[in-house]
Amino acid sequence: MAVIILIIITALFFPGIILRIKSIASGRKGPGVLQPMKEIAILFRKGSVFGDTSGIIFRISPAISLSAVVCAMMVLPFGNLKAVISFEGDFIFFSYILALGKFFSIIGALDTGSSFEGMGANRETFFSMLIEPAFFILLATFAMFTGHTSFSDIFAGFHISSDHFILIYSILAVYIIIQIAVVENSRVPVDDPKTHLELTMIHEVMILDNSGFDKALIHIGSYLKFAVFGTLLYNVVVPAGINTILQIALFFSIQFVFALTIGLVESFRARNKMNKNPKFILTISAVAWIAFVLILIMTNKLT
Amino acid sequence: MLITGVFILLTLFSFIVFIVRGSLKYFLSLFILSAGIIITSVWSLSVLSDNKTVELTLQLPVLQHSLSLVIDRISAFFILVVNITVPVGFLYARGYLKQYSKTKTPLHFSIHYFSYIWLYLSMILVVMIRNGVAFLIAWEMMAVSSFLLVIFDAEDRLIMKTGISYLIQMHVGMFFILVAFLIVEKESGLMSFDALPEYFSKHSNIILFLLFFIGFGIKAGFVPMHTWLPRAHPAAPSHVSGIMSGVMIKMGIYGIVRILISLQNDLLPIGLIILGVSVISALYGVMMAIVQHDLKQLLAYHSIENIGIIGIGLGLGIIGIAEGNHVLSILGFSGGLLHVLNHSLFKSLLFFNAGSVYLATHTRNIEELGGLMKKMPWTAALFLTGSLAICGLPPFNGFISEYLIAIGMFKSLSAADLNQAIVLLSAITGLILTGGLAVFCFTKAFGIVFLGQPRSEKASFAHEADTIMILPELITIIFILLIGLASPLFVRPVIDMAAAAFNLTDSVPASATSLISLSHISILSGIFVVIVTLLLVYRYFHLQRRIVTTGSVWGCGYTASSPKQQYTATSYAYNYNHLAKPLLGTQKIMEEMEEGEIFPGERDFKSFSEDVFRTRVIDIPVDRISGLLKKIAVMQTGEIRHYILYAFVFILLVLLLTFFNLI
Amino acid sequence: MVDYLIILFAVTLIYFASAERLVNYVRLIGIQGLLLFGIAIFELKEINSANMIFIAAETLLIKTIIVPYLLGRIIKRSGVAKVHRQAMPGFYLLILSIFALLFSVIIANLVLNQYINTVFMAIALFTLFTGLLLIVTHKLIISHLIGFLVIENAVFLFSMAVGNRMPMLINIGILLDIFVGVLILGFFGLRLKPRTNELTLLKD
Repeated sequence: MAVIILIIITALFFPGIILRIKSIASGRKGPGVLQPMKEIAILFRKGSVFGDTSGIIFRISPAISLSAVVCAMMVLPFGNLKAVISFEGDFIFFSYILALGKFFSIIGALDTGSSFEGMGANRETFFSMLIEPAFFILLATFAMFTGHTSFSDIFAGFHISSDHFILIYSILAVYIIIQIAVVENSRVPVDDPKTHLELTMIHEVMILDNSGFDKALIHIGSYLKFAVFGTLLYNVVVPAGINTILQIALFFSIQFVFALTIGLVESFRARNKMNKNPKFILTISAVAWIAFVLILIMTNKLT
Repeated sequence: MLITGVFILLTLFSFIVFIVRGSLKYFLSLFILSAGIIITSVWSLSVLSDNKTVELTLQLPVLQHSLSLVIDRISAFFILVVNITVPVGFLYARGYLKQYSKTKTPLHFSIHYFSYIWLYLSMILVVMIRNGVAFLIAWEMMAVSSFLLVIFDAEDRLIMKTGISYLIQMHVGMFFILVAFLIVEKESGLMSFDALPEYFSKHSNIILFLLFFIGFGIKAGFVPMHTWLPRAHPAAPSHVSGIMSGVMIKMGIYGIVRILISLQNDLLPIGLIILGVSVISALYGVMMAIVQHDLKQLLAYHSIENIGIIGIGLGLGIIGIAEGNHVLSILGFSGGLLHVLNHSLFKSLLFFNAGSVYLATHTRNIEELGGLMKKMPWTAALFLTGSLAICGLPPFNGFISEYLIAIGMFKSLSAADLNQAIVLLSAITGLILTGGLAVFCFTKAFGIVFLGQPRSEKASFAHEADTIMILPELITIIFILLIGLASPLFVRPVIDMAAAAFNLTDSVPASATSLISLSHISILSGIFVVIVTLLLVYRYFHLQRRIVTTGSVWGCGYTASSPKQQYTATSYAYNYNHLAKPLLGTQKIMEEMEEGEIFPGERDFKSFSEDVFRTRVIDIPVDRISGLLKKIAVMQTGEIRHYILYAFVFILLVLLLTFFNLI
Repeated sequence: MVDYLIILFAVTLIYFASAERLVNYVRLIGIQGLLLFGIAIFELKEINSANMIFIAAETLLIKTIIVPYLLGRIIKRSGVAKVHRQAMPGFYLLILSIFALLFSVIIANLVLNQYINTVFMAIALFTLFTGLLLIVTHKLIISHLIGFLVIENAVFLFSMAVGNRMPMLINIGILLDIFVGVLILGFFGLRLKPRTNELTLLKD
């Protein structure tokens, strides 16, 4: 349970930190750190406008994608504490339930009958399809290294090895997880959340027609997803078994550094040209294969 | 004696279908089918629960032979798989065939119902017979009856041609199986599945296995032997496609499983071959499915993908036995066999709903459909459930079988050596890629067909399917939800059955952790459903107290929007197509715009994809051989004197050769 | 420490397959030179300090500084910025690169020998295959030269795989090849029409 509370607290501040970093990097003062939360509160107060061509799928898909993220949260561990529900192969469930949420947000976008949303849906499916193998290859390397197949067991046994390779392996794992988070949440360099030109966007164009309560649900889901990936980063970097207060402090600082990185990358890097994106995303899977070769070395299979 | 009598009665009753009039044909066929289903289900359930084998001997009066039928656990499982889907198909057919009552004669209907009954009977017999000759006779009956079902619409010459090509390819498969059986008979004198273990212990396993694999693989639809599938399934009426894709191709899988049970050595290369062919089938099937325009052809290619997934499970099982990794074996076999059941459920559901769509709109072309959700809400909901299940998403049943196969692979990674680890990881990557591509394919299929606005007039005048077509599908939905939400109930018997068949029963407790994980998955799926319900209920009350209006969808200020501006299926698959073009051979035919053309004139655009294997493996060799034969056909002049000359030359030749002692 | 550098080397090879601009290729060659310098320093245990200094000078000066500088000048002169003219889309080059990695790991495992350091062997084979892929799938001559330089790096790694000492002969051989390659291209580069978008046409 503790992990869910921590994730929610992180999600409250995460988007605000990214916004603030981006503003400071461009020389402005920027909005307050809780500004996105205030915007969600405004969305709760508002009513909704639905397109006249959209049907029932459009109305239920935001709720389903948010529930998918909430269920995915339940298999994540935190330090010594096991996850709320943990079992063998829970990362398979994790990935597939997030895929269910994505399926519904995609068909929700197709339900509006507008070509803009179809464009976003098409790109979203395509890119998430390309990034799936990277996540699974990374987790296969975790499973091979620790001999366990559940998130809780993997991260409990992660830092016990004193192999000196573990440092570079952690660096590679962190790099891959950050890139996966960037692709899943559609940030720079895969997609730019700031531009509202539909021809150049993926995620923003999918949620063009949502309003009010549904839009709030979608935003909450995306903020929670950020915090979920930050939790994965925390689990990879910090060894289990240290003092709880220190763990919580490290958790928040790692989430802060994660938000900082994303904000800085967004301020200083341009978005990829859209047809160069598949190659960019495949590079992440290729780096995951290198991590696999590294694990082969570490487990003495490739001596 | 009683059983023999019942069987003979059933066969005789099927002939009576020709004599009876009107609706009575349907009800008589339904009665015969139900009798068969109930009898065989009782036998199968008793085999599975009591762990004994049912053996029957039929004395066939005419042929002076006795036919022995054996139901062991594998046969019982396959019989149950058949028995769940066949009645649903037949109940659905009642509503589907109504549209033909004006255009087809009663004789057509009689032949159709007769073939349907015999397809069911032959599938049951195939699974129960061990003797080689009788097996091949039942296999042939299956091919012929399905041929008769496929050409129901044979007024369309293309469908007749497709049907005949299907029949020919089935016979090619049968030829391979026949040759394999003959090799076994030459060695051991007995032409039966039971003679296989003895043969395998004395000779190299690979060659005979390959012969059987090609023969059964043509039926199952592994690449590159799949070329009949994407043509035959759309040509057949929808209830037939559902049965063929759901259960008939699984008979090929049954054959392969029978061979796998008897293997004695050479297991590792065989396992790797199965795994390699299955990964290629899975990837190729789904990659081709994405670029199809015909809804039923898309579903047919998807069947190839799912057969690939089943093959991955079986291949992993064999590799596990070869390397002594019994947990991998049990999980692989259970995952593969459970996927047989799952696939029959959701694929038949999808085909039936595609049939309802065709019935309502008279087109199978996705590009002409759209917005059908508002007109056909039940069909859309059922199609959505089928799509979610086929993509392997929780909380439905497809996830359970894919989970079993994947977790087997993940658990074996830490103990594997280098080569095994690379094989396992490549198989994992292949499985995940097919999952992602399947999501792509079905968001396209469901989204373009049911959502948005109608893209043509045919779609705007659609109407909901009759209740009689929807009610049977609810049976399938209940099974899909049960297997997804209460999976340990179904997985435990499958694990026991797989372990018993492959002599792995001592490792079953080691795989008990998987059952615990499955129960956790069920709990999580339940939590998911609860959260969704709570959110939706809250949303309902939340919106009651707010202002809710409708407006037009964002059109970027364009005032003359039309439904044609929506994303089409080709545009949805556009960036995927761009990437996969070298592998798939998609082409488009259009006139490019010229440099100075400011106001473009009217143009046609046509895009299509050719099946690479069909063109390279079948079409081109057939063309070359036909060309060659046409040249030789010069000799057929039609005049008697030339033929007498040929006969004279032949006799002269034989004389000469005998004179020189060459013959 | 050496193992970190080796893994980073493998990561640069992946980026070779996915780079778009020629300038990035040149930068990657420079990074590879630096990594080889690091590997040479940590791995070789030479008694003869002259040999040691020679190797350090060769990798640091020539591979990291001089060769990229020369290549950069040629590229700027001819005005080509992109790596276009590929025989297949870049996506497939990346997939082939992954297959090359797996293939080299399997082969390195097959030639298991107590005298050969398997990790070095695997990465050296991977470098060799990447160099070959670069040459085969690109059409511009400058890309061929870069592929050639990558194969030189592979030979360097091969010699590291078989022992702690690096005979003078291998060193001189590598240096000669580099000289010949860059010299010839520099020669042609001076004769190329400036500011054309081709690196295959000669000045008439």
